[in-house]
Amino acid sequence: MTTTQLAGAGAGGGTIGLDDHAEESRDAQRRADRWLIGGTILMGTAVLGIFGLPLFLKGLSLQRQAQRSGLSVRPIIVTLIGYMVMLDAALNTFGWAIDLFANHTLVSRLFLPTWGNMFDAGYFWHYNELAVGGTSAPGEKAWEVVGVFVVFPMRIAACIGLLQMKRWGHQWMILTCWTGVIMWVGYVANMTVYADIRFTGVVFPVIGWWLYDIFYITPFVSLPYLHTVNREIFTD
Amino acid sequence: MDPTSTSTDDLPAGTSPEHSRLHNRIRRVCYVLLFALVVEGALTFPLLALWYGFPELSPHEVCDELQKVMYTDDTRECQQPVPLGDAPFGGPAEAEGQTTARDEWGVQPRPQYPTVHYRDLVENKERREANADDDDPEAADDPDAADG
Repeated sequence: MTTTQLAGAGAGGGTIGLDDHAEESRDAQRRADRWLIGGTILMGTAVLGIFGLPLFLKGLSLQRQAQRSGLSVRPIIVTLIGYMVMLDAALNTFGWAIDLFANHTLVSRLFLPTWGNMFDAGYFWHYNELAVGGTSAPGEKAWEVVGVFVVFPMRIAACIGLLQMKRWGHQWMILTCWTGVIMWVGYVANMTVYADIRFTGVVFPVIGWWLYDIFYITPFVSLPYLHTVNREIFTD
Repeated sequence: MDPTSTSTDDLPAGTSPEHSRLHNRIRRVCYVLLFALVVEGALTFPLLALWYGFPELSPHEVCDELQKVMYTDDTRECQQPVPLGDAPFGGPAEAEGQTTARDEWGVQPRPQYPTVHYRDLVENKERREANADDDDPEAADDPDAADG
């Protein structure tokens, strides 16, 4: 055991060694992460999200307890941002990946055109008529390719790095969040140019789309934090 | 809370006193977004299923009815499963040669299909079946014919 002692650290509030403290902190973080990861996987399916949320909250609660008892765990806000941005990428990937690769399955033929008919007819108008199938809205397929092959895998990798408190994770998180700004501005501009296709005959057009999609803004909300946090807490 | 009065010891790692209010707000917004995303994700599928006719319509029938609206063609059906040899593996693309879709064509096309309101697809199917029965009264009286 190291000779360095930490007064008041650890769950018992007693005096423990630095190595013990580090090990206890690591265990507490791992315990919390197990719940957080389980919850995020379920929430990433959308349908089962309601079952994933309690698991996620349990993980957050474990982490808060560890933090209050003086253990060196990840700050709650980093945990929230890391998992939330990962969830954002997972949910977006789910919809776009089935439109890219599984557009002729019955599940895709039901989910995407019904969702499209309700919020964005880019997923209803002449659906599946392209040789590659899926959405036929001008430009939409290109956004899917860039999202599924580049932005979202990169984003998920950045989230893992951030959650591990790595310096590269912090840097890549900033990068992927700004990439999200590019995607939103480009996407909305494209959708606006072809608004007739996207919103004619739609059940909840424009405002409905915004109400549905506004909850995917976590990457933008995270940016002021990522730029103002002391980067020394992330390790090389 | 006045951020200048916050001791650094009370703050999470990486948060300086001058940014504590900003970081607090971001944390709270993240909680709101988390709950909203989960509730939205959980409600989307049930909402779509109810709106578009489940359980009166089977999944395949919903697909059929969507195609009829999409192409303004009561004879249009949902081809399922699609043969593996079809597009993009050499065969024709879906709906190739189908010319019934009502669009104002141009550089910015404008669709002409109607909005599908709550349970419209169920009504469409019932109306079509009633019309078919009206056209063929003998079939309507014959229980064997009605059973298909």
